[in-house]
Amino acid sequence: MPYEVSPSPVAPVSTSRLWTVGASIGIAIVTLLILAILHPELANWLVGGAVVVAASAWLLNMSETAATAPTANDGAAAESSTDVVTGDLLDRVFEALDDPVLVVSGGEPDDIAGRRIVMANSAARDLLRIQRQGALLVQVIREPGVLEAVDEALFGGTARTTDYATGGQRDRRWRAWTRPLSVEGGRAPGAELALLILRDETDARRTEMMRVDFLANASHELRTPLASLSGFIETLKGHARDDVAARDRFLDIMSAQADRMGRLVADLLSLSRIELNEHIPPSGRVDLDRAASDVVDAISVLTREKEIVIALDQGEARASISGDRDEILQVVQNLLDNAVKYSSRSGTVEISVRSDLSFDEAWASRMPGATRLPLVTPDRASGISYAAVTVRDHGPGMAREHLPRLTERFYRVEGQKSGERQGTGLGLAIVKHIINRHQGGLVVESAPGMGAAFTAWFPQPVERR
Amino acid sequence: MNQHTVKAYGDELNQITAEVARMGGLAEAQVADAIDSVARRDIALARAVVERDLKLDALHRDIEKKAIRLIALRQPVASDLRRTLGAMKIATDLERTGDLAKNIAKRALILAEGEPMQPLTRSIERMGRLVSTRLRDVLDAYTASELDRAVAVWQTDDEVDEHYNALFRELLTYMMGDPRTIGACTHLLFMAKNLERIGDHATNIAETVHYEITGDDIVGERPRAQPTAEDSDPTPNLSTPHLPTH
Repeated sequence: MPYEVSPSPVAPVSTSRLWTVGASIGIAIVTLLILAILHPELANWLVGGAVVVAASAWLLNMSETAATAPTANDGAAAESSTDVVTGDLLDRVFEALDDPVLVVSGGEPDDIAGRRIVMANSAARDLLRIQRQGALLVQVIREPGVLEAVDEALFGGTARTTDYATGGQRDRRWRAWTRPLSVEGGRAPGAELALLILRDETDARRTEMMRVDFLANASHELRTPLASLSGFIETLKGHARDDVAARDRFLDIMSAQADRMGRLVADLLSLSRIELNEHIPPSGRVDLDRAASDVVDAISVLTREKEIVIALDQGEARASISGDRDEILQVVQNLLDNAVKYSSRSGTVEISVRSDLSFDEAWASRMPGATRLPLVTPDRASGISYAAVTVRDHGPGMAREHLPRLTERFYRVEGQKSGERQGTGLGLAIVKHIINRHQGGLVVESAPGMGAAFTAWFPQPVERR
Repeated sequence: MNQHTVKAYGDELNQITAEVARMGGLAEAQVADAIDSVARRDIALARAVVERDLKLDALHRDIEKKAIRLIALRQPVASDLRRTLGAMKIATDLERTGDLAKNIAKRALILAEGEPMQPLTRSIERMGRLVSTRLRDVLDAYTASELDRAVAVWQTDDEVDEHYNALFRELLTYMMGDPRTIGACTHLLFMAKNLERIGDHATNIAETVHYEITGDDIVGERPRAQPTAEDSDPTPNLSTPHLPTH
């Protein structure tokens, strides 16, 4: 409802103003006429003035009623369509507030059934599923801390802020403000009111938790190889000092562990660098198909060792996208690394590049029968075509419940211990951030025993079309 | 609404329901805080949980007294009688829930003296979240008189058992791997058992809600049904680990 047509609360105010205007004009006319009788020499001027004042008052009256008449009707309509609100502007502001707001009445201090909801805005009604006015407060909010704070506001007259969690699996954190609302004419017993405002603070808390978790995880991941390194050093200093065969074997393990630590640190550094740039759109141009073949060449040493065949399907057209070359290479590299890592000996990994796709084609299914889950989805924009790279392996695949967590840092699918496959647990997190920066998308499809397919897709520059 | 001198019968009944809801909120907070105190090794929080249990006991006595008074003076029949009896039964379940939460908090105090056991306390936290969700859902069903929600809680009872079995095995492997952890692991095992029993109380409440609304017992298959009379029985269940025999 546009604001211009609906200021219903103004209606009663403006009629009363009209009345005062009318009254003062009347007084003016009467005064002028009396003056005209008392001072006949000025009568012509004064009567003329009275006529002008009367005429202008009439005109003013006409225009005012014309302006207010429709709005009064609108106000009445708004009033009848809502049940709790009374059609006042303040009420509608209250109603439109994003945070749940409630007004609670007190009743008797020792009777919990006395706390009733007098008013609740729509956010509160939706969140707490309040059915009617006068519902018991305790039926919708049971949290003891909040109930206590409400009591304090009602009977102690003190304002408070309480934090509480709804608990359970979808843990939401709330902050509740309670404020006493003093009633006109002193506080009659049983007529106390209190204001209760709730605000969702889940996101802030979650970010904080993630930071704490990340630090703990990162140090834990570094500690494992470090512990093994120092263990071997101790052994080499001690009884294995003169055992040539053991020494060689230990040094090999140590160098592998050092490599792993190096990779982890490198991944952490590149993750933080990418995060810093995440909100700066990339400016370069990359050919996705060429990037894919470059990565396939680079990885061939590793694949030859495991006798894995990589089938590259480059498509016909040049798949040019706007992006940062190094980062795009890293996306393909990480996806391909994962595919090779989870492929059995002498398996196949398929990588295909396609261009000029629409939004829906880009994230369409590549692996019928598998669970499909978009991990990153860009905003839908019209007139943009996308180029996509799909990496498909025939490894063990993943169960449905793991898919949403794949891009979490250090998340590993259960049963896959770090070290066994030599991953850092950061590969897909890096992929996700790069794709976010490029405003692309990432879709995973997998089912146990069917392998997995990851599709990353990027917007192509508009000039090409 | 503003009768101060003589409270109507309906008001008295409402008051009992409201008291039960409040008690439910307190029990929920006790369970959530007890789990938090384990996960965060928060000694102050654990102590607070132990202390607050008194309040829960007082509320329980109060509700019982009010319900008995109402039955004696008003002689409720049909749905009113069911509501009154339901309130009494739910209050008893909630009181037991509070006791179990208190026990978890006490064990958290002992655990906090030793080394942190991250992966295991995480598992306890996960199971705890599941149990709190069930408790919250069933109390929501009670305050809103929603039959479907109560039945949904009742039907998903086996989830908690599954968690319990997984945790039991996890703890066993841990203890076998490093006998020094047996002390701490035993406490964790009892915590898991307590959580499992809290889950059973939630199921009991779901049954009571169903009875209160319909006047009938829930019929139908509950996955891996257990005799529920046993749940409120303080003697330990002898088939403690619900290990699958196959």
